[in-house]
Amino acid sequence: MPISEANIKDVDRLIHEPSRLIIMAQLYVVQSADFLFLQHQTQMTPGNLSSHLSKLEDAGYVEVTKEFIERKPHTALTLTKKGRNAFTEYRKKMKQVFSDLPKVSEKNVNQKTKKKGENQ
Amino acid sequence: MTEEPNLKEIERRAYMSYHQDGLLDIFAGLYILAFGLGIFATIIWDYSFGLIIPGGLIAVIIPIWISAKRKITIPRIGYVNFGIRGANKLTAIFIGMLVLGLGAFFAFTLVSSQGGSMQLHDLIFENGMLIVGFGSLIVCVLFGYSIGLKRLYVYGLIAAIALVIGHLTGIFFAYILFALAIVVMVTGFAVLINFVKKYPLKGDKAIAD
Repeated sequence: MPISEANIKDVDRLIHEPSRLIIMAQLYVVQSADFLFLQHQTQMTPGNLSSHLSKLEDAGYVEVTKEFIERKPHTALTLTKKGRNAFTEYRKKMKQVFSDLPKVSEKNVNQKTKKKGENQ
Repeated sequence: MTEEPNLKEIERRAYMSYHQDGLLDIFAGLYILAFGLGIFATIIWDYSFGLIIPGGLIAVIIPIWISAKRKITIPRIGYVNFGIRGANKLTAIFIGMLVLGLGAFFAFTLVSSQGGSMQLHDLIFENGMLIVGFGSLIVCVLFGYSIGLKRLYVYGLIAAIALVIGHLTGIFFAYILFALAIVVMVTGFAVLINFVKKYPLKGDKAIAD
């Protein structure tokens, strides 16, 4: 089997979506962050970020805590233990997927592309 | 297929964004200034003032720095808690500044004292500024690397060059500290102005979702 199909199928699709992957990665490297910080770091619109966060919250990967700091509403976001484990597992599986790929040197790829071009 | 994200790079960017407000530079500049004043105080009054002024200032600086972060940085780029690792980095910065400052102070007091018969005193007396200059360079490079602030490399280089020039020309140590403090603080204010322009306040809603 050239690529482990089992590993690809097992990859958590909720995390695999690029925007959610960025959110998960951002929250993985910090203890907690608020909505504004995450928005700046991910460069997403508030609506987009909010929508992805809702999905992650529903899955139990992100904990959203609403509180008041100096009389201002504040939304703290934390990766739950389940979310942290899921992200670690996702990384492992992705590493496995890439390590299962056959090693092809850049030279071979260029030669193949060149031959393909000549045939056409 | 989405490739695995570079977590170290993400962490570095998150940490960097939180320290691109220039506040660290402004307060570091104030701290260098305090050491310069401390040296003057040892001449005018007593040696103990050389410790009281920088020591007292650090007790004042930290609460002001935290307050400035809350009033300027957090409303603009949001709040982030880096956990124990992040706190350790900040502690390392303050301890480093303290060690550097105290090192400079003790080097100066040893130079000033008339115990010239000892070899170590003679060595420090003759090369005090060079020792502090290269010490500053090493400390700045180490902190710059650990927290990802490239400006610190430049500060270290400027400090080393200024102190080597001071050593060669015989300029008073405190004057060099004042000049360095001004350079660091002016840079800090410039970074702060740029930060405020880049991240304008979006009203009270900015802190919420």
